Amino acid sequence: MPWNQEPLKRLIRKVIGASPDPRTPDERFRDEALPHLPAVTRFALSLTRDESDAEDLVQETYLKAFRAWDQFVPGSECRAWLFTICRNTHFRTSRREQRVVAHEDAELEALGAAALHTAAQADGLDDVFARTEVMEAVRAAVDALPDPFREVVVLVDLEEQSYEDAARILEIPKGTVRSRLFRGRRLLQERLIKHARDAGLGAGKTPEIMRKGTSNDD
Amino acid sequence: MMTEMLDCDAVMRQLWDYLDGELTPDREEAVRAHLVVCNRCHPQHDFEQSFLRALSASRREHSRPDAIKARVLATLRADGFAA
Ligand SMILES: [Zn+2]
Repeated sequence: MPWNQEPLKRLIRKVIGASPDPRTPDERFRDEALPHLPAVTRFALSLTRDESDAEDLVQETYLKAFRAWDQFVPGSECRAWLFTICRNTHFRTSRREQRVVAHEDAELEALGAAALHTAAQADGLDDVFARTEVMEAVRAAVDALPDPFREVVVLVDLEEQSYEDAARILEIPKGTVRSRLFRGRRLLQERLIKHARDAGLGAGKTPEIMRKGTSNDD
Repeated sequence: MMTEMLDCDAVMRQLWDYLDGELTPDREEAVRAHLVVCNRCHPQHDFEQSFLRALSASRREHSRPDAIKARVLATLRADGFAA
């Protein structure tokens, strides 16, 4: 006897259609997609590194999202969906190929960062990332990262997306998000610590370092 | 339940996952327990945390958000958006 699917279908209809949304699709777009405009704009800016290109990219992203609105799964992360469209639009326009070295070991990157810290400590640069001069260099360092690393850093560290959401947006495995993120962070730290050394912010140049050895070693 | 014991190497390998809130609750607790007592890993934790703060603070806003919003709305309306 064939299995009767009707009760299951009824259940699914009941769950999915439990409370029909009284809003029109356009109203849902207004309520769910438009509030992410500032975040999408920031993301576009980080991809293009140019205000007017970012503006065009945002227009195109929202127009595409509006036209594909019936494909958006209600209840899923709208911001992540918009980021996906934004990114795909950008990389199609600029025809950039995503090339990443095959070797990706996240935990080695984490250990590498630990080694950087030890070196920074030796140079009296323990607080390097709190220095105003270095803070100002962070943005330039992010802009200079190769695209595959820059986009994970921007999504996770600037836009506070989880590894999971970043993986969905970038259409790569979560483990790849993690290894690119860690590599990107280590590259940034290297660059910023070098920047601090070149700027003469290391040991002996600042009196607070002297203080640190005696009164501040908790 | 016993908290898992971790050595410094294991903690340093997972420090970023820990700071990102990506560890399982058990593992997170184990890392936290180690950090409290380890004067080798604790400074490392603070260093990475200050790095992540500086990174997060580097977030850049567009200089003309209102113009962008107006233009997006105009583009959508021209395409039939009615809300
Ligand atoms: Zn330790």
